[in-house]
Amino acid sequence: MPEQKVVIDVGDGAAIPTKKDHGLLSAWRIAFFGAVLVLLYLVIVHPDPYWNLLKFIRDGVVVTFEVTFASIGLALVLGLFTGLGRVSHNRFINLAASTYVEVVRGIPLLVQLFYIYYALGQFVRVPDMLAAIIAMSFCYGAYMGEVVRAGIEAIDKGQREASVSLGFNEVQTMRYVILPQALRTILPPVGNEFIALLKDTSLVSILAVSDLLRRGREFASESFAYFETYTLIAVVYLIITLILSKLVGTMEERMGNHVRH
Amino acid sequence: MKKAMLCIFGLLLMVAGGALAEELPVITFATDATWPPMEFVDANKNVTGFSIEYVTRMGREAGFTPKFVAVAWDGIFAGLDVGKYDAIVSSVSITEKRKKAMDFSEPYFQVRQALIVPKDSPVTSLAELVGKEVGSQISTTGTFAIKEVPGVIAKTYDEVGLAVEDLHNGRIAGVVCDDPVAANYVLQNEKYAKTLKIAAVMQSKEAEFYGIAVKKGNKKVLDLINKGIAALKAKGTDIKLRDKWIGGN
Repeated sequence: MPEQKVVIDVGDGAAIPTKKDHGLLSAWRIAFFGAVLVLLYLVIVHPDPYWNLLKFIRDGVVVTFEVTFASIGLALVLGLFTGLGRVSHNRFINLAASTYVEVVRGIPLLVQLFYIYYALGQFVRVPDMLAAIIAMSFCYGAYMGEVVRAGIEAIDKGQREASVSLGFNEVQTMRYVILPQALRTILPPVGNEFIALLKDTSLVSILAVSDLLRRGREFASESFAYFETYTLIAVVYLIITLILSKLVGTMEERMGNHVRH
Repeated sequence: MKKAMLCIFGLLLMVAGGALAEELPVITFATDATWPPMEFVDANKNVTGFSIEYVTRMGREAGFTPKFVAVAWDGIFAGLDVGKYDAIVSSVSITEKRKKAMDFSEPYFQVRQALIVPKDSPVTSLAELVGKEVGSQISTTGTFAIKEVPGVIAKTYDEVGLAVEDLHNGRIAGVVCDDPVAANYVLQNEKYAKTLKIAAVMQSKEAEFYGIAVKKGNKKVLDLINKGIAALKAKGTDIKLRDKWIGGN
């Protein structure tokens, strides 16, 4: 059977460069080395304010990464269960998972953040970081669930039939036959979501979480160096997402090779 | 006949010209309307408060029409710099650092920093909150006051109301903000009056005043504003307004 592979690569993450896409690859190089050069130039030639600024936002970068990694981990778990729920034959589970996806996707992330932090804060006292992580993973869990569902549904029907005829039950089929294959198809979009999530963590700055953007805002509004601050913040975000998109691209290529052999 | 027509035409022109000359200049003021009772949005979605009424009366004295635009605090100075509005009346304390970036009017209101804590807290000064998180609105003199005490962790919010809400919800140990604002939350707000109190009103080394900020070098607007402030001071209007919006304490 000829390999059928239709990939529509549209996401809110960064564009993932692969070896096949020369245009994008060189664009990646230009953007990445350009950003690094700009950063070096600013910091070396104008240490005031850029070097001070870089020192000031350092812990913000750490917070941004903490929120990103913790949220992506939780979102993956949540997404796996949601995805399984979405393809489940159990009507109740299916309905619960679908409703969760529908509700979360219908509410802007910014509103969700306000809701979990300030509205629910009256009843449950979660620390700010945890509130941010919960909100981010709650939102991205729904998106991740859709990725997982698509991954599972992309597996040929024949696989399931073969597995059932070999005497596997439903759970075994899912665990030993479908999921391992689905994992391969869903990894690239998960990488994409990861990058999108990293960018969206900038929204948690409204929760008084001292992330990269908030540190920048604090610096800007005290020093009045708005242009300098936001230039640097943008460059730092760009460098981080470009590195990540390269990593995801490399991973995707490796996985691709693995599938073909 | 022709002469008469010309005369009437000339008269009309003069009248029209006179009316035009009397058209007052419009000065646009930016305000972050999240700072009750100084400037806030009332139930009818109008920007109101001490500052708003003060500036409106100033306009009557000095001869200008004020227009108010609501702007988020974080970035309010950037907007002045790029000319989105002529002035800022938003409880801006006059500080040396800010004076370098913009010009200030004569001071129009004296302010002190107040520390709000939960009602059952034994704290009486900021220094007792070492190692704890204390909230304030981003880049306000409240933030600066917190950062002056070593060991107290400053947590900044977009709006002071969010900081007060977080204190109410028990996430932070205190909030530092201007005393009229603190008094408004603690004494007049039904929700917070039951749970929060003012633990201390801090004396800073130098007296702190609000001023109206204009872009550096905008003398035309600054002169009009200063004229208004002087007129209100002479009439005692500022004290009347203070009693009306803040109350005598």
